[in-house]
Amino acid sequence: MSNVFQRVFLSRRPAGSRVADLETSLDPSLTLRKLRNYTLSTADACHYGFLGSVLLFVFVMNPAAWIAKIAVYLVFGVLFMLPATSQFFFNALPIFTWLALYFTSSSFSAEHRPPITVQVLPAIETILYGDNLSDILAASLNKPLDFLAWIPYGLFHFGAPFVVAIILFLCGPPTILRGYAFAFGYMNLFGVMSQNLFPAAPPWYKILYGLSPANYAMKGSPGGLGRIDQYLGISLYTDGFSNSAVIFGALPSLHSGCSTMEALFFSYVFPKLTPLFIFYVCWLWWSTMYLTHHYFVDLIAGSVLSYAIFQYTKYFHLPLTEPSEYSRWSYAEVKKFSVWLADPLNTDANDIENIVVPARADMELELNSMENSEPPSIFDHDRSVSRSSATSNTSVEAQSEAVPSSRPAKHRID
Amino acid sequence: MAYLPKLFLGVFPLYMGVELALAFTLLNKCSGFYGILGLFTGHALDTMQWLLYLSSVCTVLVYSSALVQIYKPQLLMYSLTLVVFCADTVLTCFFTLWFSGQWFSAQHGELTDPNSQTQQSQTPELQSKYKRGDTLDSQSASQSAEFFLTILITLLALASRFYFNFIIMAFVQRLFRHPKYIVDVNDVEQDLKHKNLLQRWWLKAQHASYKLCRRYLA
Repeated sequence: MSNVFQRVFLSRRPAGSRVADLETSLDPSLTLRKLRNYTLSTADACHYGFLGSVLLFVFVMNPAAWIAKIAVYLVFGVLFMLPATSQFFFNALPIFTWLALYFTSSSFSAEHRPPITVQVLPAIETILYGDNLSDILAASLNKPLDFLAWIPYGLFHFGAPFVVAIILFLCGPPTILRGYAFAFGYMNLFGVMSQNLFPAAPPWYKILYGLSPANYAMKGSPGGLGRIDQYLGISLYTDGFSNSAVIFGALPSLHSGCSTMEALFFSYVFPKLTPLFIFYVCWLWWSTMYLTHHYFVDLIAGSVLSYAIFQYTKYFHLPLTEPSEYSRWSYAEVKKFSVWLADPLNTDANDIENIVVPARADMELELNSMENSEPPSIFDHDRSVSRSSATSNTSVEAQSEAVPSSRPAKHRID
Repeated sequence: MAYLPKLFLGVFPLYMGVELALAFTLLNKCSGFYGILGLFTGHALDTMQWLLYLSSVCTVLVYSSALVQIYKPQLLMYSLTLVVFCADTVLTCFFTLWFSGQWFSAQHGELTDPNSQTQQSQTPELQSKYKRGDTLDSQSASQSAEFFLTILITLLALASRFYFNFIIMAFVQRLFRHPKYIVDVNDVEQDLKHKNLLQRWWLKAQHASYKLCRRYLA
């Protein structure tokens, strides 16, 4: 086994490279030393300030005993202090914050929750997408389709985040797992906040109650997954969805958000397999509507949220991948995305061929300013260079070297 | 066109805005495939739905082609993208109005028809199961709140679409003014002779879009 691992992952390891090494120390003084040398940036202040506020809110609102809550926070404190555990647990802070908020959501009292909307989502679905797509796709049911829908929605969704994390850790560049935890955690955290702040009834509600008003005393429904429970003789989904922490949390669909995030990260590391990942997202979208758990607009909201957070993470956190490398241990260094260098409108000052042509208004201004100046002289090489064609393939330096100045520089008095 | 935005959200480079605009629109346009998939469940589509779903599928091709070359854009492709995006914005406004009418008339029927699911669910059995006192009633959004939120979200979706349209327009304008992206139109004409019919249409559409954009943006 170790031979296989050695051959597959470590065979192309650059000599002396330590970027892929993991921290194995359990000495908290290392963490304290890092903390003393750490300088807080504005982005980090916002990041930790936001997560800290949510965790404080959860600490106060969670109905568990105070002693239990303090014990949980202390355990996490210890995990954050030990370097060997801290490298995983501390970077997964957005994920833990999301989970803490999600499992506390069921304890919010009804009088503090916003009113539930029943008509908004089906209305938006019809207005933006021409029909109740979720309704139509759930109109024709049969057993093979039930299982086909169950696979991504009821199985893959719960295991995929772990599988993706392991594969990213092994095959992606070092620190990509940190980026994945950041993006995945924030996407789910924003999703749960939205579900609590904008409670909306899912399609199964419309099938059961039409557009009647909803209330928080109602139980959730497993929708189409209830049929899977019947086929398998279990009550896993019926129990789970009936007592869900966020029953009226249709917007956004975190199933869609998670699958999109997984597809985006996999496409980032394995770009050639992108069509396969797109297919997975499309499959999950269909199954979500078929099982009457979300409207199409929820799916789009989840994917849009995922894409926006992934883009932010890509630009400001993720390491760049090398297309030829497939193991974290093959990287000699970790390079980050340069927002400025990637800009296709960016102009290099040294690249004379690609000087941006000024807008017409600027041109007129320049010509007007030249009216009273001396006519250009072909012998005045300084000036002729400054007015050379933008597409000239001769650099300023080359011209200066090729044509030595025959007369001293002329000082202009304008 | 002097007032086109120079930065996305006033902070980020334009290409970031274009990338988000194309990706968000692309995700939305996937509705076309699911609308057509609805035919397999026995659901018939009317003319306007066919028009919406087929146009969505066509735009997916254009937007995905543009999105994959965002870091190395080609002016011809982005000219076509801009023209399609502008036409799509106009169509979206029209479809939004049309399907708003459809929804509100259907909703009226759902709320008033005694055979509708809404009316049927108000059975004494269910009412006793979920007994609604004054407190529970207030947990559901009022009819006016539902209407207000529906209109608000629709308008926000349209407003963001217009903003993204201006971002793409500003990006294409900057491409026109950048020497790196200068296009030799003769090359386009020559290329057509060696292509099949679909590719010819594609290149001709790009060429026509390029001329249109150059006229108003360059």
